[in-house]
Amino acid sequence: MSIFVIVYYAALIGASCLAAFYKQRGVFMLIFSLTLVSFVLGIIGGAGALRLVATAAGVLALAAGTSYAFREFLIQISRPNLAKELRTAPLTAAFGMFVIFTYAIAGIFAPWIAPYGEAEVIGQAFAPPDQNMLLGGDQLGRDMFSRIIFGARNSVGLALMATLLAFVMGAIAGLLAAVKGGWFDQLMGRIADVIMSIPSLIFALLMLSIFGTGLQVIVIVVAVIYSPRVFRLTRAVAGNIVVMDYVEASKLRGEGDWYLVRKEILPNATAPLIAEFGLEFCFVFLLIAGLSFLGLGIQPPTADWGSMVRENATLISFGDITPLIPAGAIALLTVAINFVVDWMLFRTSGLKEQ
Amino acid sequence: MHDKFKDKEILLEIRDLKIEGYSDETWVPIIKGVDLTLHRGEVLGLIGESGAGKSTIGAAAMGYARDGTRISEGSIEFDGMELTTASESERRMLRGSRIAYVAQSAAASFNPSHKLIDQHAEAPVHYRIKKRMEAQEDAMQLYEQLRLPNPREIGFRYPHQVSGGQLQRAMTAMAMSCRPDLIIFDEPTTALDVTTQIEVLAAIRDIVDEFNTAAIYITHDLAVVAQMADTIKVLLKGEEVEQAPTQQMIDNPQEEYTKSLWAVRSFNSPQRYRPTDGSDPLISVQNVDAAYTGGIKVLDDVSFDIYPGMTVAVVGESGSGKSTTARCITGLLPPMSGQILCKGEPLPPRYKDRTRDQLRQAQMIYQMADTALNPKVRISEIIGRPAQFYGGLHGSDLKQRVDELLDLIELDPVQFYSRYPPELSGGQKQRIGIARALAAEPEFIICDEVTSALDQLVAEGILKLLDRLQDELGLAYMFITHDLATVRSIADEVVVMQHGKVVEQGPKDEMFKPPHHPYTDLLLSSVPEMDPEWLTTVLEERGVDNIGEAADR
Repeated sequence: MSIFVIVYYAALIGASCLAAFYKQRGVFMLIFSLTLVSFVLGIIGGAGALRLVATAAGVLALAAGTSYAFREFLIQISRPNLAKELRTAPLTAAFGMFVIFTYAIAGIFAPWIAPYGEAEVIGQAFAPPDQNMLLGGDQLGRDMFSRIIFGARNSVGLALMATLLAFVMGAIAGLLAAVKGGWFDQLMGRIADVIMSIPSLIFALLMLSIFGTGLQVIVIVVAVIYSPRVFRLTRAVAGNIVVMDYVEASKLRGEGDWYLVRKEILPNATAPLIAEFGLEFCFVFLLIAGLSFLGLGIQPPTADWGSMVRENATLISFGDITPLIPAGAIALLTVAINFVVDWMLFRTSGLKEQ
Repeated sequence: MHDKFKDKEILLEIRDLKIEGYSDETWVPIIKGVDLTLHRGEVLGLIGESGAGKSTIGAAAMGYARDGTRISEGSIEFDGMELTTASESERRMLRGSRIAYVAQSAAASFNPSHKLIDQHAEAPVHYRIKKRMEAQEDAMQLYEQLRLPNPREIGFRYPHQVSGGQLQRAMTAMAMSCRPDLIIFDEPTTALDVTTQIEVLAAIRDIVDEFNTAAIYITHDLAVVAQMADTIKVLLKGEEVEQAPTQQMIDNPQEEYTKSLWAVRSFNSPQRYRPTDGSDPLISVQNVDAAYTGGIKVLDDVSFDIYPGMTVAVVGESGSGKSTTARCITGLLPPMSGQILCKGEPLPPRYKDRTRDQLRQAQMIYQMADTALNPKVRISEIIGRPAQFYGGLHGSDLKQRVDELLDLIELDPVQFYSRYPPELSGGQKQRIGIARALAAEPEFIICDEVTSALDQLVAEGILKLLDRLQDELGLAYMFITHDLATVRSIADEVVVMQHGKVVEQGPKDEMFKPPHHPYTDLLLSSVPEMDPEWLTTVLEERGVDNIGEAADR
């Protein structure tokens, strides 16, 4: 029995005793059941499996610590009202915010952070990681790390633009439909139905094959595909607000539709719309990554996570994890945004924790 | 203590109860040390304004603290069992079987997807007190005692298939299903019309008497509690003001606060009469028929006039077409036939076709101040917008006008100028609603049940304010209400509506003198009075079997 295994069990048992002594029921149950599971794991997988568990726990603890510190940091720097809201954020949401913050920094300062240019060939194809190239080289010998950093700018920036456009189109149409009602509402609703009835990926492929794969085309096509969802949500939310007495009072005053939308409805609809924005951003991001993977998105040599997965896909059969790094970057961002959105949805829905 | 119950066994004893609520990250006291003793068979009335902690005490009597509240101190002893220290499962065993609860809104408290009788039988079957068939048989008997129509079949309907008053009685029957020792009635008739309220009150009183059940009756309506309770306890902001047997409490209240509660119904505005010089009425509703899309006629040949500077009260139970008439006048619902004249000139039926000046003439104040004010807009803008929109005021002129309006409604401009509606109390919100209507400088205001969602003291303040504004600004009001006490205090003329028709109309002093139309008579005699014997007298006059049923179609 190696020293590691002895230390591992000693730490677990010690921690569970401490938890039990301080009457932390949840923590105790967690640690002690981990101890019991580890007995079985140790017998089957040996010290290697236990090392894996220890690493995972360490990573988790590190993430939790980072999130906690980051949340405290945000509370410290924000205004009192905002700080009060932030204090209610769970650790997962803080983690999400931290990841988004990191990505934003990487994207904005990409040319200064990345050691090489995104199209610069500096080594052999599929070079293994070394001091020069932190994550190795891709299929043309470009630095993988630099391309990931630039990818944050290109992929995320593009997705952000497309989502914003989708929101502007969908939200305006939805709000007007709710206020005007009648034929305008019907017309908008049917257009949305038509767009939604076409499978999104096929529609995007079709449009991109017809109009070419320029950046503007991608943004517009993706925005058109996703605006009906925004439209439907906005119309539903606004529909509940339009029947309120204060909107009736404004209507009777003789206010125009645009005033109603801007002053009476929009301020009351922002919370669900922001939550939806986060959610839609994930879908848009995945769609664009999917398009890039199929070769119809952002064109080489521009770095983009979706196409990086495809270009390096062959490596996976050699047991190399390089193609998984951009995929992991996509997954991490999606999960992070969902954490934040969950928290926001929880707040707007007014649910109370039991 | 009431002599009648002095020698009876004590059922519930609450000592020095303190309850705290969690808000803004600290625990704030809600109930600040209340004592309560309830004997077997005694009915205790709890009254006070909203926020006085009536419902919280009612829930605490079951050993229950709502989400976000906790019982911090004191003892609650139910029949020898201490509820504050009892385990959750022990307390759960009491609820439904020995302590029952009747909620304010029966419609929201019944599960819409189960039949009434199944919900009725749930508790007895669960506690193994009765078999299902036995419980159903018992339910039918209770329904009969509560004078529900068709007692053997009504239980097999779903909640949406019976009317509000019947549902409230079915809920009382359900509370009785296990023959509990204590029932807590939390404002059971507040949401009902006066004509329906009387039958529910009679039913509750009879059944509580018959099974000798103790009850805590929570309400803010003094006249109602006078009918129901043996003892009355008055609460204010989580503290007890005083407690006394009903008759003594009504005849001889000790505390200032109680006296002010009792005095509420005394406000009376002097009656005004129509001008005799033959001038045109301000608003004239002429032979209006109206229906919602595809539905049956909601209004049938409605006609009445409103003269400048006068208050016309439109009364009737819910569904009688009062609010629909208001919608026709404002132009939200174009009438099918008939017309609405403003100073002798016909108004376009749809509000979109009216000119800005026509829209300005008629303003509206709503029942629910919560939904009538946009929660995300500052007070200054809510009030300022009409002034800006109609009067074209800007900058410092606008600010001055808003300050003026806030002064007019007796709110301090400095304090309220830049606040948001959710930060205000119900009465303050209603005042802002009034200010918004005034900002348009109208001659005519429609008040749609403006006081019915407010406590009596606050409502009194609003009525006085409206009356003062009427004198100062020469406003005409159309006052929609189902509360005849309000009519009595503020109206000059009364229009009684039933099933979309005007049943009777005339000046107030004539309307409150007999002879009446039968429906007016029913409405008038259904308004609870402070006399504890009132309900008994009315029931005797009407005969036990047809109380309130006269109002049914």
